[in-house]
Amino acid sequence: MAIRLNGLRTALPVGLALAGLLLAWEAAVRLFGVPAFVLPGPSGILVTIAEKSNILSAGLLVTLTEVAGGFAIGTFIGVALAIVLVLVPPLELMAIPLVIAINSVPSVAFVPLVLLWFGLGMASKIALAAFAVAIVVLLNTLQGLKRPESEAINLLRSFGASRFGILFRLRLPAAMPFLVTGLRVGLARSTIVVIVAEMMGGYGGLGQVIYQATAMMDSLTVWAGVVVASMASLGLYGLLVALDRKLVWWR
Amino acid sequence: MSSEGIQNGGMAARSKASVIPPHLQLVNVWKRFGSEPNRTVAVSNVDLSIAPGEFVTLIGPSGCGKSTLFNMIAGLLPPDSDGSILLSGQPQPDGALLGKIAFMPQKDLLFPWRTVLDNATLALEVEGMSRRKARAKAESLFPEFGLMGFERHYPHELSGGMRQRVALMRTFLFERDLILLDEPFGALDALTRAMMQRWLLDIWERHKRTVLFITHDIDEAIFLGDKVMVMTARPGTIKQTETIALPRPRDASVITSPDFMEIKRRLLASVEEESMKTFALSRDAADRKTMS
Ligand SMILES: Nc1ncnc2c1ncn2[C@@H]1O[C@H](COP(=O)(O)OP(=O)(O)OP(=O)(O)O)[C@@H](O)[C@H]1O
Ligand SMILES: [Mg+2]
Repeated sequence: MAIRLNGLRTALPVGLALAGLLLAWEAAVRLFGVPAFVLPGPSGILVTIAEKSNILSAGLLVTLTEVAGGFAIGTFIGVALAIVLVLVPPLELMAIPLVIAINSVPSVAFVPLVLLWFGLGMASKIALAAFAVAIVVLLNTLQGLKRPESEAINLLRSFGASRFGILFRLRLPAAMPFLVTGLRVGLARSTIVVIVAEMMGGYGGLGQVIYQATAMMDSLTVWAGVVVASMASLGLYGLLVALDRKLVWWR
Repeated sequence: MSSEGIQNGGMAARSKASVIPPHLQLVNVWKRFGSEPNRTVAVSNVDLSIAPGEFVTLIGPSGCGKSTLFNMIAGLLPPDSDGSILLSGQPQPDGALLGKIAFMPQKDLLFPWRTVLDNATLALEVEGMSRRKARAKAESLFPEFGLMGFERHYPHELSGGMRQRVALMRTFLFERDLILLDEPFGALDALTRAMMQRWLLDIWERHKRTVLFITHDIDEAIFLGDKVMVMTARPGTIKQTETIALPRPRDASVITSPDFMEIKRRLLASVEEESMKTFALSRDAADRKTMS
């Protein structure tokens, strides 16, 4: 009950501010007669979303599939690599500078190459999303796995625990909050890279919808695509917050 | 050396002194950290011997090498090659002691993601016992450890004294005959501490394990121990071993008895001398730093 009330207390001002903003936007557009190709009003965008719901939902489905697929693959690769590196410290010394160097290049920069290697279909987007997620998840998880103090590791050793015992009973649980942070950043990055890749070359997805609408100077549909994409990533973010509570229940 | 351990041994040892080897024996144990220009000798030339069932307290100034000594006995840190550690008469090569000794480190190190119950069963799980069995076994100890009703709580919901008892329970559930306790009550207030000391003696008398207990507190060392060992300032070595002949079971009134006072007078001088040395040492180091 208290939590609900609290949720309401934070949601109410945000909702009010948002409603105010939308109203002001709508009013300004109508008052000054701004043409739709410069800036459509919220009502116009909403109407377009309803009208174009067929192509928008088809695009959304493609984009979500690519993001979800890449996210799952990338998380798996990132966590697995982090575990290998923490179990084999010499490997970590060699690999980490490389990973940090790659991480400092925005993954969008790799889009043309990946399109070349994996084609214009979904595979290239999934590969890009997986790559973007794997890098952040790897770096964050590794940091978390190395978090436990030597005293805690020694405690387990004194009970006769093996490296794997220490990994499962101490390192992995301690890494959970870090993993969740990695997932959050990775989700944002993978959504971006997927949409950009769809715009640069693809057969479907919200990026392609936006791209084609832009080519036809249909700014209402561009806006509709952007709004749907934002809503989708907001929804995914909400899922992650729920996951955070599941994975890091002790906080 | 070993003859002393046997003479002063706990009740279990006394009758069969000639056949039972010391439970734990350290022979010329050293630990040096780093290499020459800035080498730290943490532990030097430690010889000691503890009989089965004995409760030995170890007291010494801060930084004299007590925790380092414990880490070596627990098998976490190999002693330098000039010495050896024997368990029930058997020499223990590097790493062989891991898993053989119940070790409670200076910090409680409870895992925040585990409930009190699951923190207590940690060692049992590592040993491969099923969760269900381990929990059942731990649950039966909760009343004795004063933690009834807190099984499903998380560590951050407990007071310092309770956390310490959970860490102790985790150590006791790792059923090894030799228990190392590194300042288990160091962070507690005086009142809780006195209570915990009596409680620990009670548990020890019932479970009959060999205990080696580090403390900074002379009263605590005398009150608990069959034997008090005083360590020198760093490099730490055993300076003096005092047998405590106070009758057991001991209660709070022991502390004010003349015998206790007499022992305390003797130990106090010795301990304070070492503490002063530590103080002087660190002041010298500071002086040298400011001069250069
Ligand atoms: N891994 C290490 N490397 C270098 N020096 C160390 C290491 N571990 C301990 N020392 C040094 O050894 C000395 C003894 O440390 P130790 O922790 O054993 O002292 P202690 O008697 O337990 O002190 P306290 O009573 O404060 O807990 C200290 O000077 C410490 O700096
Ligand atoms: Mg210490």
